[in-house]
Amino acid sequence: MASIDSSPTNSGSDQAVWNEAYERVRNFLETFALGDHTQAPRLALKLVDRAREIHRDDPSKHPTTLAMEQAHHLMAEWLAANLETSERPTSQTFASGYIALLLGQSLRITPDSFLVTPLAPPLRQALRESLLVTGPDLEISSMSPRSFDYGPMLNLARQTWHKWDARAIVVAIAFWIGVYFIFYWWLSDLL
Amino acid sequence: MSTPSPEPSGALRRTLFLSGSILLTGAGMGLLLRTYVGQQIYWPDYIVIGLFPLLFSQIAVGVMLALFGFFDGLRGGDPLHVMRRSWRNKEEEVPLAATAIVIPVFNEEVERVRMGIENMWRSLEKTGQIEHFDFYLCSDSNDADHWIEEECAWLNLCQKLKAFGKIFYRKRRHAINSKSGNVADFCRRWGKRYRYMIVLDADSVMSGPTMVRLVRAMEANPAVGILQTQPVQVLGQSLFRRLLQFSGSAYGKIFTQGCSFTQTSSSSYWGHNAIIRIAPFIEHCDLPMLPVPDARGRHVLSHDTVEAALMRRAGYEVWVAYDESGSWEEGPPNMSDMLKRDRRWCAGNLQHFWFLFGRGIELGNRLQIWIGLMAYLCSPIWLAFLIAGSFTSYSRARFLLYSAGPEDIEDAAHHQETLLLFVLTVVLLFLPRVLSLLSQLPDARHFGGVFRLLLSTLLETVLSILMAPVLMLFHTLFVIQVILGWQIKWTTQNRSDSGLAFSHCVILYGWQTLLGIAGQSLAWTYLGSSSYWLMPIFIGWILAPITAWVTASKRLGEILRSWGLLIIPAEAEPPPELAGLADAASPSPEIPPLWSQALLCPYVHAIHLSMVRQRHSGGEDKKPAQSLAKLREKLVLEGPDALKPKEKLRLLWDAETVFWLHRELWSRPGDKLHPQWERLQAESGKSPLLRHYLLIETSD
Repeated sequence: MASIDSSPTNSGSDQAVWNEAYERVRNFLETFALGDHTQAPRLALKLVDRAREIHRDDPSKHPTTLAMEQAHHLMAEWLAANLETSERPTSQTFASGYIALLLGQSLRITPDSFLVTPLAPPLRQALRESLLVTGPDLEISSMSPRSFDYGPMLNLARQTWHKWDARAIVVAIAFWIGVYFIFYWWLSDLL
Repeated sequence: MSTPSPEPSGALRRTLFLSGSILLTGAGMGLLLRTYVGQQIYWPDYIVIGLFPLLFSQIAVGVMLALFGFFDGLRGGDPLHVMRRSWRNKEEEVPLAATAIVIPVFNEEVERVRMGIENMWRSLEKTGQIEHFDFYLCSDSNDADHWIEEECAWLNLCQKLKAFGKIFYRKRRHAINSKSGNVADFCRRWGKRYRYMIVLDADSVMSGPTMVRLVRAMEANPAVGILQTQPVQVLGQSLFRRLLQFSGSAYGKIFTQGCSFTQTSSSSYWGHNAIIRIAPFIEHCDLPMLPVPDARGRHVLSHDTVEAALMRRAGYEVWVAYDESGSWEEGPPNMSDMLKRDRRWCAGNLQHFWFLFGRGIELGNRLQIWIGLMAYLCSPIWLAFLIAGSFTSYSRARFLLYSAGPEDIEDAAHHQETLLLFVLTVVLLFLPRVLSLLSQLPDARHFGGVFRLLLSTLLETVLSILMAPVLMLFHTLFVIQVILGWQIKWTTQNRSDSGLAFSHCVILYGWQTLLGIAGQSLAWTYLGSSSYWLMPIFIGWILAPITAWVTASKRLGEILRSWGLLIIPAEAEPPPELAGLADAASPSPEIPPLWSQALLCPYVHAIHLSMVRQRHSGGEDKKPAQSLAKLREKLVLEGPDALKPKEKLRLLWDAETVFWLHRELWSRPGDKLHPQWERLQAESGKSPLLRHYLLIETSD
């Protein structure tokens, strides 16, 4: 594990929390799949150093939170500058920016350009051109079922459902048993 | 473009079909009644006499379809068929129209679906007509891992094939009305953009030339509303799937050809591997609610047959292009998975009863509905027939033992009619197979040669005889379930040939073994030698767990394949559209779950945010609902496994929440996070979604 500070003034617990902050930022930057594996640790060290400076003035925030805030802040600025979005960065800015990075493959080809301002014009152009088409415009149609005449079965079923009671079932069963026995005796003699 | 031919009525064919079926059933019934002459009639005899025509008519229907199919094959195809009309002479001149290829998915194997789309795209590209086609992956997946993986697979396709603006992904928030609702949702949103849609299943694949020809067929024949291809089952590795795909390839065509010959322009639609004219589909084919008191049972489960009937009712022709190659699908890998599918199909087919007597339905469609109904109703009828038949035998045996004189025994033992009826039944049962084999003989080399074709048929027949009684009992249970009003849900079809555990087979099929042993003991005790005719049934039941276990084996399927048995033409000459599909497997994460990558990995997170539209205009600072806020905290503090499936979906649907969680999970100190998050963070850079789908090399 890389230690980011060997200053003798730091206590052991301080070192642990700053190491945690470094590790977090490095893990975060590694998710961008930079072409150069040393780039993420280098950037992480810079961001943690910046966080340490802020932490000296305002120690209320945890180093990890502070370092990641710096990472997000830098990322937002960098994306806004390169995507030319004047508004305050939103989730959609990040989404568009990340997708542009993925589709443009610039971080794999030129990992050194990551979070570097200003970006070289061809790279900036490539970033802006990588747009994501998620779906065509809607052209709404109305699709609803037409009336359907189920014919005689529906009438029969409705009569049964609406007049369904135990007495009717008993009568029906008794009736058919009777019919069955009549047929049985009659056919037994005949056949 | 040729002018549409006058619609063939097919009245003579249907008359011949119906009269032939009635004649055969009448012959069987006549022989049965003659066996009763001079005999004592017992009460179970009336059940036997009552059920016999229903069962025998099904055999007769099968024989008539096979005969018609065989005849149609001998004369080189149906001249009335839409695919044999004059437009075929100038096929290349028929212009194409905008066509959407719609693929509804529901928790399917994502990589398999992705690869199928890639193969179809490449096949279409080779035709030079790709600009007329767009793909829509319409997801109803309710599993968070599948959802996120589908999004990444979609981006992979767009990136790899340079298909942005040509391949689209749509996830429904509420999966109303299952697959038919999914397709209807596509029609409502984007139907107007296209003249046709080719509907596929998640495991379907079609070749580019076939899809182009289907569009041309529709363009040249404006009266055709649905044109269904006959998908061939392929990619089977387990013995069970190889049996299914062999029987489909060897005997399937003759039946489909027979159906098409009989039904002509009122043919079937099987819900996938078919092209549909969208405008009339939108106008006429939305499914009506069933008139049942229970609101949960009003949705039509098996939509395809009803949609075909509605399309036909609206005046459009529905045809089966039985002779078109380049249309494939996959079957269930084992008996248990087939039963799961059958349970759903049974409920759907029985619902069709309502449409049997509906006004405006064509006779051809009514026939289709009837055949579909009887496919499942035959099982309880067969079971009742067997039980009644056994009681009859028992009564007769008692009579002969205690009351009969020598002349009665003579009469009973030498009943010519009984033998004749038995022979007739066996001949009719096996005639379709014989006809199918005869029709396949010229093509035998694609089945491994004549000898292997015959041997494979023999093997398939023996195993079918063993499985038939098992299926009969399960289908009977399914019918009872439906009648009792038990709900049948739409489930994902398993397509992996991973085999079945023997313990599973014992638990699921063991009761049939007990039933078989008990039944055989009773039959031997009370029926004596008359029980021999029940032996195939009892053997099927007794061996049910072993049959299910053995047929699920991938190894056995491979061994038989290496011997050249159960080979199908698609294996003898594999089409490029199926390349790599058998081995296509989704990436498995070292540390699950996959869906957490939408919260951690910036790329996966960004794809997801782009797909989920912002529902509120309040911006990211707007406070979430209290329940949502609680869920967020629960996820952060208790880890991804603490949430229920529905809770995961709820979080993922909310773009603001997803963004908030992304920031929060990376920014919170370790002691305020569940330990699993730190492990997932460390793995995010090597996420299988990244490596498998997103970090691909593209060349400009």
